This record gives sequence, C-alpha cells and structure tokens, in this order.
Amino acid sequence: MSGSLLFQSLVLGVLLGGLYALLAAGLTLYFGVMRVVMIAHAAFLVLAAYLAWDVHERFGVDPLLSMVVTVPLFFVLGVGFQRLLISRLRPASLTMMSVLLTFAVALVVEGMLGFVYSGTQRRVQLPYSAASIEVLGAQVAVVKLIAFGLAAVSLLALYLLLTRSRFGQALRATIQHPQAARLIGIDTDKVAGYGFGLGLATAAVGGTALALDSTIYPSLHWHWIGPLMAIIVVGGLGSIPGAAIAAMVLGIVQSLLQLPLGTTWAQTVFYLALFATLLVRPQGFFGGRLAQRF
Amino acid sequence: MRNVSKFAALLTGAVALLSFPLWSPNPYITSAGVVVLSYAVLSTSWNFVGGFTGYMSLGHAAWFGLGAYGTGLLIARAGVPSFLALGLAGVIVALLAVPIGIAALRVRGASFVIVSIALVLVLLLVFQSWRSFTGGSDGLVVPRPFPDLLRPEHHVVFFYLFAVLLAVALLAWWTIDRSRFGLGLKAIREDEDKAQSLGVPTFAYKLVAFVVSATFTALGGGLYALWFGDLDPIFQFSILIGSYMVLMALLGGVRHLFGPLLGALLVGIAIEYFKMSYGDTQFHLVATGLLLAVVVLFMPDGVIPAVAGLLQRFRPQQSSIREVTAADLLEQNRSETKVEARR
Repeated sequence: MSGSLLFQSLVLGVLLGGLYALLAAGLTLYFGVMRVVMIAHAAFLVLAAYLAWDVHERFGVDPLLSMVVTVPLFFVLGVGFQRLLISRLRPASLTMMSVLLTFAVALVVEGMLGFVYSGTQRRVQLPYSAASIEVLGAQVAVVKLIAFGLAAVSLLALYLLLTRSRFGQALRATIQHPQAARLIGIDTDKVAGYGFGLGLATAAVGGTALALDSTIYPSLHWHWIGPLMAIIVVGGLGSIPGAAIAAMVLGIVQSLLQLPLGTTWAQTVFYLALFATLLVRPQGFFGGRLAQRF
Repeated sequence: MRNVSKFAALLTGAVALLSFPLWSPNPYITSAGVVVLSYAVLSTSWNFVGGFTGYMSLGHAAWFGLGAYGTGLLIARAGVPSFLALGLAGVIVALLAVPIGIAALRVRGASFVIVSIALVLVLLLVFQSWRSFTGGSDGLVVPRPFPDLLRPEHHVVFFYLFAVLLAVALLAWWTIDRSRFGLGLKAIREDEDKAQSLGVPTFAYKLVAFVVSATFTALGGGLYALWFGDLDPIFQFSILIGSYMVLMALLGGVRHLFGPLLGALLVGIAIEYFKMSYGDTQFHLVATGLLLAVVVLFMPDGVIPAVAGLLQRFRPQQSSIREVTAADLLEQNRSETKVEARR
C-alpha cells in the first residue's frame, strides 16, 4: 500500500465524513427537540436524491437546482410531520412509538419510490461526472467535492443559525429543558416543529449531494440509516458536535478500511463501533445526561 | 362458568386452526396456511420481549435468519440429521443471544431499537459477503427432511410442526405471564427504575426474556428453513420480516396471550391474499407501513382492547353510583329513620 493511495483514501474519507456529519446533525435535531429517533431520515434522503434525478432527467437542468424546490418542501413536510403525526402520540410511550411510526413512514416512502420510479438503479449523468482534480497528489472526483461543499456550507449555516439567531437560542433552550423553555415564554411546540423541518431539510441537501455521485435505488436508505444510527449513538444521542466528530472519524476509518477489506466489509466498522460503544460507554462518547435515558 | 366458556372458545379455535389442512381447497392454500402459522410463531416469540418488557425490537429477523441459516448450514455443510440440526441451531442462537443481549440491553428505548435494526443490517452484510460459507446471494439449498413425501403432504406435515411449536411458545408465554418472573418483567415495562429500586433484578430478567424470545424465533426460522428448503440472506435477514412481527403483535395486542396470534392471522392472511392476487410488488411495503402507522397512532394497545372498549359502550353503562331500586331505597330510609328515632 503506497503512501499516496493512503492519502487518497484519507481525503475520500473526509469528504464522505462531511456528508455523514450533515445527515447525523439532522438526526440529532429530531432527537433533541422531540426525543424522536427518525428512522425515515434516510428514506427522505433517498427521496430527495430521486427528485434531483427526476428534475435532471425531465428538464435537463443541473440536479443541484432541484434544491430550490426540495429544501423548502422538505422543511414544510418536516413541520407537518411533527405537528400532525408525532405530536399525536402518547407522551408516556413517545420514544418507542415514534420509532415505530417513523419506521412505518420509511417503509411507505420506500414502497412509493418503488411504485413510481420502479426498482431500477438510477444514476445522474453529468458533463462533469467523470472529471476529477488533483489535490496534493490525490485524485478527487469533482462531484465528491461538490457534495462535500454542500454539506460543509449547510452545516456552517446550521451552526450559525443555532448559535447566532434568536430562533436558534429558542431551539437550543427547547432541547436543553422544554419545561423551562416554556416558562420563559418559548412556544416549544412551534419550535419543535421548526426543528423537525430543519432536520428534514438536511435530508434534502444530503439527498441532492448523494444523487451527484452514487447510483440510487429505493432500498438504498437501509445502507444509510444503519451507519447514521451508529454515528449518533457513538457520538451520544442529542449532541450535534458529538455526531459531527463521530461522523468524521467513522467516515475516515471506513474509507481507510476499504483498501484492505473491500467496500462491504468496511461498512461493518459502523456496527462494530456501535456495539463497542454500548459495551464501554452506553451513553456515547460526547453525550450528556440526555443519552442515558433513551 | 366463565372458565368453561373460555375453555370452549379455546377448543373451538384450536379445532378450527388444526383442521385447516383438511378443508383447505388446494396445496397452494395449505402452503399459505403454513406461512401464516410461521408468522404466528414468530410474533408470539417476539412478544416475550416486546410484550413483557416493552422493549420493542425491530430486528428480530436477525434471530429468524440465524436460526434458518444455522439449521441449513448444519445440514448442508456438516451433514447433521434435520431435526437434530434444528435443535442445535436453537442452542447456538441461545448462546449467541447472551452476549448480544448483554450489549443491547444496556440501553433503553430508542437506542435499543437502533441496536436491533443494526443487528439485522450487519448480519445481512456478513451473510451476503461470506460467500464461501453461506452461499451468499446465490442462496443455500437445505435438503428436505422427508424426501419421500409429495409436496402437498409436505405442507400438511409442516403445518402441524409449526402448530406444535406455536403451542409450546404460547404455553411458555402463559406460564411466564402467571409467574413471579413475569410480574418482574411487567414491572420493567411499566417503570424500570422503580422496579429496580424495589429489588427486581431487572438486567437478569430482561436478559432471560431476550434469550427465550431469540431462541423461539430461531426455532421458527429453522423450521421455516426445513420447510422452504431455500435460503437467501435478503429474505432471511429482512427488515420487513422484523416489522411484520412487530406489526402483528401490536395489532393483536402485546398484553394478551393470543394477541400476536390474532394479529398474525389478520395480517398474514392479508399478505398472502395480496401476494396471490397481485404478486410480489412494492405494494407490500406501502400497505405494511400504512397499517403500522395506523396501529401506532390509533390503537397502540391492539385490536383486542379496542374492540373490547367498543363493546363496552353498547353494554349497560357501569356507573360509579351504586344502583338501588326504589323499594330498596325506601327500606333503607325506613331503617335509618328508625335508628334516628331510637336515639
């Protein structure tokens, strides 16, 4: 194994980790505001990828443009999902039942994708699909760079929104202590709805990035939800920085392991990390007191 | 009196179920009956964990697949006799369930569900990739246990084998339900911290329930392997099978002995009916998802309490005030005035 090959997969790992980090941040948001583990996150990711593919196929425009529609659409969908479905569940069994509910939504989305677009594998063909540039001796595909750029910009925007705006403060207050947040006059129901919308919007961005450089098919979301779930447990449920760090580390490890083991076996690193975390530190490596209970 | 009518209902149900191969019109319908019965075994097995402790595992297909592949591999690769292989596979899965249970049961609620899903996904990866041993996606052919039997008779024999396994699982559930152990498990479901503070050894109890559930599921999977004779990781370690188990148990009612069986009959017959009329399409996913969402949103306690509640509304209303006839009331008032008059 030569040094340049190692460096190449390191770069690819960082690029992959960026996308994982964005999606894991979305999952963390849902969990933060509602204590809901959103199994359907990856299904919406694949839905967004299909929409990007469809826009490209039908109108011949760049799939990136589909975000103009999908991001607001997914935001509204997320708000509606929280207000109309999640808030109906009994508070006593909310965590467990919401998992089942979002799982059911994932099945419906997967089935509908199969219905509408058939099970055929799809891939976006772009003029710059095959192009790659050299970064310090490593060949990196342009589409992967764009995907990483999208993820990085969205994560930065999310970070600024959460730390600098009044809405972000209200959202973080809701995550930290819903009752206290209500006492100081925050409409936590509304904020939770927007939190859900933001989470789903990350799936829209991620899906567009995914459509650029992967082959998509309806059951693809199971390949994503497993690693993403592992990431948020390893990082500690409810901690966005924890999720981002775990995403980066695991993404890089996966990419490096692909060299000796091949793609399929390398994926098991997520599950190994998950089980190891449960045995050593069940609350995750960066999680606060939230994680232990759930 | 109540016991007699209960017993009669049980007997009628058992006879109706067991006589199915006699009145089923053709072998295809009989084979559908075997599938439905195997669902009943699986969701009843799931209910040892889901019903008693409230830990909802979406990944019980892992045990199903391990049981099926364990049985199949022991027969095909090691030449073990069929039913000995089934028993051995049950033992192996029980042993495997101990360390996995220790890891998975350290977390509660949502994290536990995540771990259960991850378990299926990782096993799917392993069984697909380890081609030289498991056959990968080419499948694994399991030699039939009764090579002389014709197809229709084969279905009938396995119908009764599944019925026996179901009866054993139901009996085990019933026994636990009435035991001190079961009481501890239900205490965990209601409030784990309080149960622990009252001295219930919560972790050991959960682990035992988990292992029992995994073993029964594995036996169901092994029997399925012997019956179907052809295994593919995609179908054995399938998220869909795991979600069927949850859907059936929830729909029937996880707190009732016959809840999962009832749910399996309802959902299983619907699945087989749609498969027969429309073939294998994406429709299964959509229908399963919608049905699961409806059950979770509108009747999380299952169909039995929902129907019982509905019936209750048509019965004479039970009021908190004791009903007294006018004559009784007069009698009471008289005696009271007499008491007062004596004073």
